Amino acid sequence: MTGKEILFKALKNEVTPRPAWVPFVGVHGAHLIGVKAEEFLKSEELMFKGLTTAAERYQADGIPVMFDLQLEAEVLGCDLIWSDDNPPSVTSHPLEGGGSLAQLPAFDLNDGRLPSAFSLTRKLKDEIGDKVGIYGLICGPFTLAMHLMGQDLFMQMFDHPDYVKAVVSYCASVGTQMSKAYIDAGADIIAVVDPMTSQISSEHFSEFVSPYLNLIFDSVREQECFSSLFVCGDATRNMGEMSKTSCDNMSIDENISLGSLRDISRTSGKSFGGNLKLTSALLFGEQDDARLDAIRCIDVAGGAGFILAPGCDLPFATPPENLEAVAEMAHDRYKREVSKRTIIVKDMEHFACDLPDEYSTQPNVIVDIVTLDSASCAPCSYMVGAVNKASTSLSKPVQVKEHRISSREGLAAMKKLGVQNIPTICIDGEIAFASIIPDQKSLIKCIEESIAKKG
Amino acid sequence: MADFEVLRVAMKSGKVPDVTRIVNEFLDAGEKAEDILNQGLLQAMTEVGKRFKANEVFVPEVLIAARAMKAGTEILKPHLVEAGVEAVGTAIMGTVKGDLHDIGKNLVIMMLEGAGFNVIDAGVDVSPEKFVALAKEHNAHIVGLSALLTTTMPSMKAAVDTMRTEGVTAKIIIGGAPVTQTYCDSIGADGYSEDAAAAAELALSFIGS
Repeated sequence: MTGKEILFKALKNEVTPRPAWVPFVGVHGAHLIGVKAEEFLKSEELMFKGLTTAAERYQADGIPVMFDLQLEAEVLGCDLIWSDDNPPSVTSHPLEGGGSLAQLPAFDLNDGRLPSAFSLTRKLKDEIGDKVGIYGLICGPFTLAMHLMGQDLFMQMFDHPDYVKAVVSYCASVGTQMSKAYIDAGADIIAVVDPMTSQISSEHFSEFVSPYLNLIFDSVREQECFSSLFVCGDATRNMGEMSKTSCDNMSIDENISLGSLRDISRTSGKSFGGNLKLTSALLFGEQDDARLDAIRCIDVAGGAGFILAPGCDLPFATPPENLEAVAEMAHDRYKREVSKRTIIVKDMEHFACDLPDEYSTQPNVIVDIVTLDSASCAPCSYMVGAVNKASTSLSKPVQVKEHRISSREGLAAMKKLGVQNIPTICIDGEIAFASIIPDQKSLIKCIEESIAKKG
Repeated sequence: MADFEVLRVAMKSGKVPDVTRIVNEFLDAGEKAEDILNQGLLQAMTEVGKRFKANEVFVPEVLIAARAMKAGTEILKPHLVEAGVEAVGTAIMGTVKGDLHDIGKNLVIMMLEGAGFNVIDAGVDVSPEKFVALAKEHNAHIVGLSALLTTTMPSMKAAVDTMRTEGVTAKIIIGGAPVTQTYCDSIGADGYSEDAAAAAELALSFIGS
């Protein structure tokens, strides 16, 4: 089975022989071939080279054509400022302070960098499209409306909701044209990336976002293509609304619980993807951090309808070897099992962790909580909650630190503290409560004893 | 005594005409501008901050509340000046060099103003030298640095280093999506905050100490 077939199975919410894996390569493709982000995003040839290199080197099952959410905005008259190691940023908003849609330049698929995006899609399809799924990536209607209106958009939702809806609707029509052009050029999946929706309430999402996203998703479905909704940022509260849209797949960022997304997706019959940690694991971590994070995602996701992917587009300078390590975890079950055991039992003495060398010299009592991850493990969250609650009724302030063993720092802390059970509370370096969540009275008493000892 | 709750409700729901009307009515009725500010507008903004922190309201709701607060404080300003009421402190707030994102910075400014600070908006893409110049010019108590990109985090360190070398005495607080307490400790900033509401509390804690 080719990677593309595995990806398609995942998108259809079926069980896959291994997790599908889609590295969201945007400006990271430039880093991979040693050029700057600006020259990369302006050159069809360089993007072709960067993306084919990434697809091969990272054994990708799918690859996005152009992870640049400013592409449409540029054509609609927003000024851009370019960067060496980031996508460009929008610096002017043509509809800021009001203004009619009619004053925008007519949206033309032949303007700006759009022709090279579609031509690049065709070339990628010809070169690697038999084995790799091609994602045509478009700026979500709400984020595009934000590019056009600036921060005004948020206030106009209260002052002039009909005007905002007209702008978002127009942006959805741009998205529909973009997706059709990508599909005509050979894209297999249309990914609508709408990060600004992570900033609004679910009521606003359902009023100002869902109907317009559906215009795009429905049109993609009519063209017999897959659709995916990417929301970078913490969209926890909007997952329910996202799952009610007509997309086939949802992909989320690292600050959202993948377990929650899994449950919501299963209920709504959608496939889902995510949520490798961009900075702590992929950019700043080492290969073992990347491996552990990939294992976390794969284990939480289970076997059906899952696409392993970063939380958002990969940072420019992500070390390629970290992504190779992720690819290895996706492709090779045996290596995954080996890594699970070897990384955890490996000598962690030299790993950096956030613990003092000597507790007695610290000004305040330190309460360390070792957890799997309080966001995705219920007992862990209760234990962290219990400590946080207790810390508000103590005679002196204490320092509370959570060490998640989903990171290497956390594992190192676990080892150094001699913790055997998860979750565990340590007070000034000593194990105080293992596995059992203490009642407030016992917890406060125990911490107060340490405070008294410190004097 | 005036019913400040009516004013707070109007401000929290971002109703500029209502806030304007109520503030004027209170002034006409002889309420002190300082009381209208503290018990009405600033208290309402603190409540908005708490709800934002608790994920009960989001950026748009904070923006309209802040706009209503601004409408109210504009009316109060001449009265406050006349009565000799001063801000709790002065803060400089900007997004660091190389970074053009301003929403997070703007939210922090609103929360700082809501906490009673006089805030100078340094803008985006702010060089370390500009932070130094502004901090000295305004005799700032707090300098807030914001960054959204992983690639601009090093600019925070550069800003902190330059301010320290140049003798800026203000407390330096940092925040933004990729920033963490660990990073704050590693670059020697005075404080880290994970959201805009907490930033205002952090700034106040430095003023109190």
